[in-house]
Amino acid sequence: MSESKLDLLQGTLDLMVLRTLDVLGPLHGYGIARRIEQLSGNEVLLNQGTIYASLIRLQQRGWISAKWGVSDNNRKAKFYSLTKAGRRQMDEERVQWERLSAVMGRVLTASSEGGKL
Amino acid sequence: MSETRRAWARFASLFRKSELDREFDEEALSHISLATDDYVRRGMPLAEAERLARLKFGSIGASKEMARDLRGLPWLESLLYDLRFALRGLRRDRAFTLAAIVMLALAIGLNVTVFTVMDAILFRGAPLVKESDRLLFVQERGPSGRCCVSYPDFEDWRSQAHAFQSMAFVADGGVVLRERLERPTDAFAFNVSTNLFGLLGVRPILGRDFVPADEAPGARPVAILNYRFWESRFGKRADIAGLAVQMNGAPATIIGVMPDGLDFPTQGDMWVPIAHTPVLLERGLTPGGFEVVGRLRDGAGLENARTELATINRRLEADYPVTNRNLLATLSTYSAAIAGENAPKIFGSLWAGACLVLLIACANLTNLTLARTIGRSREFATRIALGAGRGRMVRQILTESVLLAGAGGALGWWIAKWAVRTWAVATFSRYQIVDYSVTSGTLAYLAAASAAVAILVSIAPISRVVQMGVNGVLRGDARGVTEGPRGKRLAGVLVAVQMALAIVLLLGAGVLVRSFVAIVSANTGVRDPEHILVGSLTLPPDKYSSPDARRGYFDRLDAQLRTIPGMEQETVASALPVGFVNLRTFEIEGRPDEQDRGESAQFLSTGPDYFRLVGASPISGREFDDRDRAAALPVAVVNESFAATFWPGEQPLGKRIRVIEQKKPGEWRTVVGVVPNIMQGDPLRQRFKPVVYVPLRQESRGRRAWFLVRARVPPGQVARAVRAEAQKLDSDVLLSDVTTLKAHFAFNRDSMDAEHSELGKQAAVSPVFALIALLLAAVGLYAVSAHSVRQRTKEIGIRMALGAAAGDIRRMTLRNGILPVAIGMILGLVASLALNRILQSQLVGVPPYDPLTMASGPAILIFVALLACYIPARRATKIDPVVALRYE
Repeated sequence: MSESKLDLLQGTLDLMVLRTLDVLGPLHGYGIARRIEQLSGNEVLLNQGTIYASLIRLQQRGWISAKWGVSDNNRKAKFYSLTKAGRRQMDEERVQWERLSAVMGRVLTASSEGGKL
Repeated sequence: MSETRRAWARFASLFRKSELDREFDEEALSHISLATDDYVRRGMPLAEAERLARLKFGSIGASKEMARDLRGLPWLESLLYDLRFALRGLRRDRAFTLAAIVMLALAIGLNVTVFTVMDAILFRGAPLVKESDRLLFVQERGPSGRCCVSYPDFEDWRSQAHAFQSMAFVADGGVVLRERLERPTDAFAFNVSTNLFGLLGVRPILGRDFVPADEAPGARPVAILNYRFWESRFGKRADIAGLAVQMNGAPATIIGVMPDGLDFPTQGDMWVPIAHTPVLLERGLTPGGFEVVGRLRDGAGLENARTELATINRRLEADYPVTNRNLLATLSTYSAAIAGENAPKIFGSLWAGACLVLLIACANLTNLTLARTIGRSREFATRIALGAGRGRMVRQILTESVLLAGAGGALGWWIAKWAVRTWAVATFSRYQIVDYSVTSGTLAYLAAASAAVAILVSIAPISRVVQMGVNGVLRGDARGVTEGPRGKRLAGVLVAVQMALAIVLLLGAGVLVRSFVAIVSANTGVRDPEHILVGSLTLPPDKYSSPDARRGYFDRLDAQLRTIPGMEQETVASALPVGFVNLRTFEIEGRPDEQDRGESAQFLSTGPDYFRLVGASPISGREFDDRDRAAALPVAVVNESFAATFWPGEQPLGKRIRVIEQKKPGEWRTVVGVVPNIMQGDPLRQRFKPVVYVPLRQESRGRRAWFLVRARVPPGQVARAVRAEAQKLDSDVLLSDVTTLKAHFAFNRDSMDAEHSELGKQAAVSPVFALIALLLAAVGLYAVSAHSVRQRTKEIGIRMALGAAAGDIRRMTLRNGILPVAIGMILGLVASLALNRILQSQLVGVPPYDPLTMASGPAILIFVALLACYIPARRATKIDPVVALRYE
């Protein structure tokens, strides 16, 4: 896997995590991983452990914060929640991502037609 | 923003690594149990659920590793690892580490010391003065070198010279200061033009600066105090500005205090505006310490100023042909005025010497590191074979070098601080105000020197590791790659280079010391000065303001001193032999003064018995005795040099001379005696100058005098007796600098001007360099030959087993060790022949290729080198063949 692909995936995963926390509120690592699996199948996460790389990156940038707490079924777990900076970042990236995917869609469609010329 | 934050988070996590690891484990377990719960709730058996949870999580170890990499700074961690590893290695080789650090500390310390001193003297300029590199000292001299500039000439320069932004006038002066009814005390004052502090760019910390009105005729005298004087004499009282005092008997006001550390032009107690007396306003040269300081205008340089002043002086010569004939304006920069014109050369060569020493230390350390790398080649080879990159090995070596250089630098810094302080104290002089404080520049220099050392000593070992043949090393021959001819050759070359550098320093220092010895031990005309006790007497101003009062005191002192048991002769004089005496202009009877520029000679007042005491009894005529009193016939005694200069081939006895002061002639003095030459006023002590002696009872000008005593008892005992008698006679008289005349000759800074006291310092410092260089070179040679013996243990064992005698082994080892020494010495001698020529301008009474130095330097080196080789050679002969053959 080349660097650029990894970077792209990293960014995508980070955005997914931010969005999950935005929708569901404070959540532990397992919850986030499960939610992403549910929505994306097994396309994004190699395994659930890899979610923690994303969580560490986001924490280091100050976009999410973490706190130990207790889960619904009385298990000790670390809960992550979105910070103000994180919400801002998510909004920005979401707009960018939407623009990019629209452009990509157009470009990919156009090239398949152009190829026939 | 978020990236900085992330970097900081990564850095911070370094310090809580295990805590974060633990937390990650906990989180992973929590994840798995949450997942297990989930699966169980969905109806999975517990064991199955747990297995699936773990499976889906993936490897905990791998994700932990990944988390670690993300969290921390991998490069920093591996650097820390290198550091730890290097420290462990250095701790294991304690002898090596200690030797390396001490060597580097000495060399770096020496280098930084010299740099700091050089920087302070040549580049930093006057403390507190704004842009002191734009200041020039200007003086006016006649064709014979007589000075000094007169006030009217200064005024003309000031108004006409455009190269200067401003110019100020400075003169030495004494002030008798009295506060209310207290006893008056002496204070050293500089008489300055009122614009001086404006020119320097320094404001008083208390009170006000001078204003032009303070200089106007009839203005009330004012004074600004030096901080130190304010502290010592007035206890830093805050209400000092406006304090009414008496100066030289007239009411005066202290108007301010200058900041701590401002000593301009040199150390004094106070500054007072110049008084416009009729004498001050005379044109022509005025003897006395008059000086002009100017600040160059932006864009103007020394040469502009020089040409401009020369033009103005030609104009003045046309306008005042009598007084201003052939007067030359001489200009010097602040550093040249403070340290002498030769200072750049002197400090440049000292610094070059210090750099040579540093290079020797580097060469030495390279040799030691090489030996160590060779010893560790198996370790390196194993690590490379196991997959460590050579880059990693290089980094390892660099890390060690940086550690050593860092430790050496830190210790060297400490040495340098101590040495600079010692230097500052030892060379302190009222006449040289130098700021030796540490600046960021000094620190940067230290860092650069240490970094250079680290890089220099890494080059050879790194190239060795990079070229290392792993297989050869691992095949079991620990010496395989490294004991090749190249390795040996490099070690030999390094030893030779060190020896060459050491001999250059030895020979350079040798001639400098010889030159200094030539100055200090020059014939002064004084017979066994070690048996003459001298001391300075300062009479208090109120009681002894008149010549009569002073004469009375000297009479009483003479009488008292004669009662001391064991006393042979005692006398009082206005100055000591060798010291400077003011030049005075005089006229010889029958030879009217032509062109209004009389001859000048040194005039010295002495009491009876002076010449007998110093061992220079008159060649013809008589010396002064008790008859030569105020009312008697004015007489004089001249030295041989005077007689030869002014009356060649004539009989001086009975001839008459008179002093001319401020254009007015004094009384005629009849020459009653001619005495052998006594050194006076030549700092290099190589030339006897014309001196006129007059009786102290007929002419005593100042309140400072020296007593001289020759006794049959030890000087220490006499000193106590003299102190007791002087105390009994008048306890207000200040007795100081009591020592033997010989000690006075050796240490008296007043008898040497700035230039030559720099020579003295150089002569004192350069042997230290040479010694350190020699020591380092010897240690280096020892290390190399000891290492070589260790490497060849097996070979020596075989030779001995085959019947070689101890003598053969010793000879062989010595021969191997001495060869590079011999080559280095020859190279060094050749280099010295070239380099010592540069020193020529600084040498007195010694040729640059002084045969004694040229012979003894190499002899010392050979002796030390033999010693350094002999010890390992002896050890080689002690090797037991049986043990040696089993030696790995």
